Amino acid sequence: MSATALPAPAAPPARRHLSYWLGATLLALALLVLLRLIGNEYGWYAGYFVLQYVVLAAAWNILGGYAGYVNFGAAGFMATGTYTAVVLYEALGLGVLPGILGAAVVAGLLGLGTGYLTLRLRGVYFSIATLCLAVVLQTLVVNWDYVGGSRGAYVIRPMTVPGFVSYGEYIFAVMLALAVLATGIGRTVELSRLGRGLQAIRDNERAAEAVGVPTLRLKLIATTLSGALMGVAGAPLPFYAGYVNPDGAFNLAYAVNTIAMPLIGGAGTWLGPVIGAVLLATLQQAATVTISSALNLWITGWMLVLFVALAPRGILGWFRKR
Amino acid sequence: MSELTRRGLGRAALAGALTTAVAPWAAPWPALAQGVNPIRIGCSMSLSGGLAANGRSAQLAQRIWAEDVNARGGLLGRPVQLVSYDDQSNPANVPALFTKLIDVDKVDLVTSPYATAMIAPSMPVVMQRGMCYVALFGAGVNERLKYDRYFSMNVTGDDIKGHYARGFLECTKMLPNPVRSLSILAVDNDFAQRAAESVRGMAREYGLRIVYDRSYPPSTVDFTPTIRAIQAQRPDVVFFASYPPDSNGILRAVSELKLSAALLGGGMVGPQIAAVQAQLGPILNNLVTWDVYSPEPTMQFPGVVEFQEKYRARAPAEQTDVLGNYLQPYAYAQMQVIAQSLARVGRIDQEALAKDMHANGFETIVGPVRFSALGEWAEPRNLFVQFQNIADGDLEKYKKPGTKVILYPPALKSGTLRSPYGAPA
Repeated sequence: MSATALPAPAAPPARRHLSYWLGATLLALALLVLLRLIGNEYGWYAGYFVLQYVVLAAAWNILGGYAGYVNFGAAGFMATGTYTAVVLYEALGLGVLPGILGAAVVAGLLGLGTGYLTLRLRGVYFSIATLCLAVVLQTLVVNWDYVGGSRGAYVIRPMTVPGFVSYGEYIFAVMLALAVLATGIGRTVELSRLGRGLQAIRDNERAAEAVGVPTLRLKLIATTLSGALMGVAGAPLPFYAGYVNPDGAFNLAYAVNTIAMPLIGGAGTWLGPVIGAVLLATLQQAATVTISSALNLWITGWMLVLFVALAPRGILGWFRKR
Repeated sequence: MSELTRRGLGRAALAGALTTAVAPWAAPWPALAQGVNPIRIGCSMSLSGGLAANGRSAQLAQRIWAEDVNARGGLLGRPVQLVSYDDQSNPANVPALFTKLIDVDKVDLVTSPYATAMIAPSMPVVMQRGMCYVALFGAGVNERLKYDRYFSMNVTGDDIKGHYARGFLECTKMLPNPVRSLSILAVDNDFAQRAAESVRGMAREYGLRIVYDRSYPPSTVDFTPTIRAIQAQRPDVVFFASYPPDSNGILRAVSELKLSAALLGGGMVGPQIAAVQAQLGPILNNLVTWDVYSPEPTMQFPGVVEFQEKYRARAPAEQTDVLGNYLQPYAYAQMQVIAQSLARVGRIDQEALAKDMHANGFETIVGPVRFSALGEWAEPRNLFVQFQNIADGDLEKYKKPGTKVILYPPALKSGTLRSPYGAPA
């Protein structure tokens, strides 16, 4: 009888998911403790800036990375979440957490509706349709007095939150939890039948359909999920800034960064958007407070050009190739 | 004699480079060069993006103020140092920049960026730290927040709706014949909508019937159909509330379509800016519009001429507005308010500074200023000026009286109204 060692069986899916959630939660807690030890309010605000892009990039990746449908309307979905939170605050005086739930529902439904109307379009035509959606939504908000219209809306946030040093720490912790959640959802999608179906659509939609992949259903799930997460990323914004106006909520930087970050980190993988968002958003924040000026989008543009030319599969793809 | 090693050479080069880099910054501030702890004043400013044109010129004005103060020995015996970051005209960048200023840079005082959309997101951070805050050209920021340490360097006062358009409508009384119809066109943004609301609310009081009342999105580039629609109503008075790119487009369309009215203008932001004045030239003749400063004899407040000389000498190199006839004197005055309050209080105490600002008036290069309970100007001073005697795009004439004649308020009036708009100058 030979004593050949067999390879260890792969961990069951449930255990693999558990290890992610445990690891990510511990990492998030460590980050929270570290920043509290540093004791500088700027850490919370700069961290929020980076984490909102982690959520946006992870959300975009579900449709753009796995299914290959490039969404140019990220700012529109994000602003939907922002203004849903504003409406809930104005109408019922609700805070950031109910605002996030409301934003997930409204932006998810918007994603579903958009998907239903536009998924017959492919490639650049789909992208243009999503861009149009953002323009239509901005026009709607500008003309809607209840949410401040073009004047913008004020949200008077509480000065303190029990258990937290300041409101800045609280809003950072909320965004940190959302970033862990969004990345986890992206990872779950990637490892599930849904993710494999979306990847089949990206590679060849007709072939996928021919072998029985329910393409429309999967794409609708992806647009809903992606839209809901983008809305969730936008919901804390009025509480973070205390004020929001259409120019800020629909800012071009959100749309550009949301596409650039997964592409730089490695689209189509759950970790790629996280790497891209942390790298690019940290660089942008550092540029703002050091060399200053409009270098943010300049940095994004150049990194995008460099990565498309030298590492088209992003940072993760570059390492995997080697 | 010791030999110069490679490492030693490197250190010498580094020391030389640092000395060369630091010297020009320290030179204008002798006290800083001697290592005295400076008073650090921080702000974010829009140096790129849509608000950059005014943001850059406001920053230049503030730098001139800092140099003037430091040349006189600083404040409270300490030099003044300005710390600022570019908010890229994006409100979402502002909270992080203000926490950086207060927590990392440890500034002693903060001042605001330019415009409502940038001031508002700084308020939660400023309020949380209880900072005394002098803002620049914000409109109604404190209406809901009611922060008792907020002060606004803006002529509009507490009640924009009740005051803003008063001066424009008062000009109808200067017309030779009574006017009956009014046309309103406003861009979809905060300030313009408030301006339109103001004229709408007061029209009846002046016997004016509104025959056209529309808004347009900020992205509009072709105003020909809109101006034709206004022309079809044949209004006696036309009120535009617009921002720089659209003010330009509107006035070009008005000129091309030869729209004429007894009184035309309103709350247009754009004709105050040198680049727009150079582009539009004689199209501006007889336009009556809102303004904040004009180099007329009635506005020669102490120090303003000296400030403008310094500003105009440096503006071309800084690639910003070359005249400094708009918000620039107010940016300088914003810093004068802080300086005068600090001098009275004698220490950096946010609460004491706020109390002083509420209790006392200020002598600035834009005239005497006193703040209301909400922190706005206690006495609104919306100017309505008329462009006169313009034959070309040469900007020299804007440095002298007689080109932007003040019609309102009566205390500053420097000329008489010419009517109609559209008639040869």
